[in-house]
Amino acid sequence: MKKIEAVIQPFKLDEVKEALKSIGIDGMTISEVRGHGRQKGHKEVYRGQEYNVDLLPKVKLEMVVSSARADEVIKTVAGAARTGKIGDGKIFVYDVAEAIRIRNDDRGESAL
Amino acid sequence: MTTVVNPHSSINPATIQQAFLASGDSGTALAERTAQVDHLVMEAAAALLFPAAPAGLAVLAVGGYGRRQLFPYSDVDVLLLFDSEKLAVANKEAISAFLQRLWDAGMRMSHSVRTPGECTEVHDQNIELNVSLLDQRYLAGDRALYARLVEKMPRFITGNRDALIRNLSQLTRERHAKYANTFYHLEPNVKETPGGLRDYQLICWLSQMRETEASRLGTADPAPELRQAFRFLGRLRCYLHCQAGRDHNVLSYEAQDAAAEQWQMGDAAHWMREYYRHARAIYRAAIRQLETNEAQSSSLFAQFRDWRSRLANADFSVHRERAHFRSPQALDAEPEVVLRFFEFMARHGIRASFEAEQQIEARRSRLRAYFTEPRPVWPALSAMFSLPHAPLAVRAMHDTGVLTAMFPEMEQIECLVVRDFYHRYTVDEHTLVALQNLWSLRDADELPLKPYGDLLREMPRPGALVFALLFHDSGKGSPGEGHVNASMRLAQSAMARIQVPPHERENILFLIRRHLELSAAMQARDLFDPQTLRDVAHQVETVERLKALTLLTYADISAVNPSVMTPWRAEQLWQLYLMVYNELTRELETERIEIDPSGPPGRQEFLRGFPTRYIRTHSETEIDEHMMLEERSRKRGVGVEIRRLESAYQLTMVTTADRPGLFAAVAGTLSSFGMNILKAEAFSNRRGLILDTFTFADLTRTLELNPTEVDRLRTTTERVIAGKIDVKELLRNRPKPALPSRSARIAARVVFDSEASGTATLVEIVAEDRPGLLYDLASAIAANGCNIEVVLIDTQAHKAIDVFYVTKGGKKLETDQKQPLEAALRRACDPAG
Repeated sequence: MKKIEAVIQPFKLDEVKEALKSIGIDGMTISEVRGHGRQKGHKEVYRGQEYNVDLLPKVKLEMVVSSARADEVIKTVAGAARTGKIGDGKIFVYDVAEAIRIRNDDRGESAL
Repeated sequence: MTTVVNPHSSINPATIQQAFLASGDSGTALAERTAQVDHLVMEAAAALLFPAAPAGLAVLAVGGYGRRQLFPYSDVDVLLLFDSEKLAVANKEAISAFLQRLWDAGMRMSHSVRTPGECTEVHDQNIELNVSLLDQRYLAGDRALYARLVEKMPRFITGNRDALIRNLSQLTRERHAKYANTFYHLEPNVKETPGGLRDYQLICWLSQMRETEASRLGTADPAPELRQAFRFLGRLRCYLHCQAGRDHNVLSYEAQDAAAEQWQMGDAAHWMREYYRHARAIYRAAIRQLETNEAQSSSLFAQFRDWRSRLANADFSVHRERAHFRSPQALDAEPEVVLRFFEFMARHGIRASFEAEQQIEARRSRLRAYFTEPRPVWPALSAMFSLPHAPLAVRAMHDTGVLTAMFPEMEQIECLVVRDFYHRYTVDEHTLVALQNLWSLRDADELPLKPYGDLLREMPRPGALVFALLFHDSGKGSPGEGHVNASMRLAQSAMARIQVPPHERENILFLIRRHLELSAAMQARDLFDPQTLRDVAHQVETVERLKALTLLTYADISAVNPSVMTPWRAEQLWQLYLMVYNELTRELETERIEIDPSGPPGRQEFLRGFPTRYIRTHSETEIDEHMMLEERSRKRGVGVEIRRLESAYQLTMVTTADRPGLFAAVAGTLSSFGMNILKAEAFSNRRGLILDTFTFADLTRTLELNPTEVDRLRTTTERVIAGKIDVKELLRNRPKPALPSRSARIAARVVFDSEASGTATLVEIVAEDRPGLLYDLASAIAANGCNIEVVLIDTQAHKAIDVFYVTKGGKKLETDQKQPLEAALRRACDPAG
């Protein structure tokens, strides 16, 4: 099993969710996060006062899928989140040792 | 019905449930389950408890079980009353066997073991125990022991009434807060939500405790309206238990549909209105009881209350922190007195008394007939919407039915359930919560909400914003039309009736039309794409509208449910605001107003040729004032007006006689009067009309203490503009201002930017602010042969941030022209060197 963590632009969230739904991925955890990588913050001036926007708003998606489907999911997320500009985000992939469904103690991929 | 239960059979609720589902009669179902459980409990007690403790033990039913209101899967509350603790300890095994038998029979037991002494102590940490005893019922065992408890109870309650009520109130307030103090939940918990069964019980308990006659202690007789509400909710809870097969009390969308189908009640959204009507009756009665009891037990509160009663006037009195009509008949003679009543509430934050609410409600149809005639109600309404406690008054208008009496357009959203994953409240409640959330920004002094608070605090008349908020979702009750369009149509009809002035009407319609745009942009557009900003700027048109729309968007999103407006989202919306604000205000020479399609010919003529920025940064009222000033200036070619703002003054000048150094001359004139310029803007159109505004602080209060100085400043400025006085002469006699200490000083910064504008060079100067700074800077620019196209001045504490857009010979500055200008500006920033 793989855990796929994607940090994307907030305005791409709906598109990415739709794309994942179309390949049968419904379950995910979504958090509102802030951060910056190559897309540095910027400076806004409001009524003579400078506002430094160091951390930009992003959305983080996390999902665990079977290893066999990981590539397909990664491609789907990347395809839907891409605008081609700096700031599109990143995808990280981790190995997952175990998954347990708390309700009935299902283990492994059947718990996903 | 006869129920036969053998000792080893478990509870079988199936027959009761089937009968209930067929008849919908929850009263019978509860009584039958109680009888069934009574039988089992008594049987288990006879078999397992009394052989071990033939005396000194009584078994009592308490709580809902004691009241014979045992819902199909409710806990069974049993009190084992022992003569002494010792006896209880000695019978531990018997108790355990007794409980086990009942558990095995399928009951969820909730038991307690007490002595009569323990039953008559105040349990701060276990108020439920005290309260459950109000509904105690003898089942079996030692009657003499039970009689001792019954004898002690009245004295205990009368002696500890205040403490018991205080604990019960606290518990209730905490529970209400958990549900955001409203019963308008889309998927309510019929037991716990405000206005639910728990509140019905609260009403009974409080009146039981208030009963002073010992013989009547422990009895409650709720009003018929409440008993009806109890029957309605009881039926629903019974149904939910039957459906879920457990103690489940949330009336989910699925359960609403299923119940509607089960009893052929039609559309679920329709009968949910009946639910809210009953919940409202219970909630109001509960709050009334709570407040009456809380007030009676707090002397500090009484002092405050008495002090507040001094706010009374000829029409209204204040008694026990509630507003009353001195003469309710006035409502018949002059229905508008009801508006003054709400205005009184909005001003002082005092709520309506229950009597006043009833008096208003009794006249609802008369008020409706009065207010649905076209009447100029807007000025009074708009003034009320600006007062410190406006949301309190609007909520009271809603609760008493005055809001729909005035605006029948809003009737369709009353108690309306619109199913949506994120929304928690009915449409009308969402609207009221939005208004409350908007108002709470007034006190916001920390990030990320402080900037929103500043926007609201700076808004001179928020009436249009409040009205737009009230109507923004009013169209949700008109399916098939698109809710935005329907809301606009309804708002238009209401505005025509109450005679809202045309330009306010336009602003309100704009806000309703665009109320989803900013959230849509946040959700689906790249905020760092210049095209997004251009599109949003194009939609909002002016800074004034952007501000109002940002506030409305904040209020709207935050009222979806209590957790949706996260700091992340608030920051994102503020980001969008900032970027669109800058998009609107940074456009300079490149874009000029050619035609203004919305205005009359005179206005079009005035605006033509001004930078687009002008129209975007000024309100309609300001533009009207500028036009009038221009009108007055025609004879002499110059017009100057000075008006007082909240904490500063503003000088506006118009002239057609432009000349080099004109801006510097006016700045110098203000300095010569000792005024400190905080903000300045210069505009010119292609017809040669100059319009400059200066916002300045009167540090020595010269103008305030000597009103004639205002006139002298005006005429002096006019003469300076006309070239009749040399500003240098004026400045010669001014004392030099003291410079701040070296350590506190701000290093001057002069930056040139040739890319920011297509036609001019931007010069940004950050310097230590001082009187006369702007004059010196503007003079340095004029002395270098440069022309000031646009100037934006702002002051932040001691720091002046001045941005000039300058040209030389109608073009941007060449590199070799920048050096001497920079040197001159640096000298002006720091005359002491």
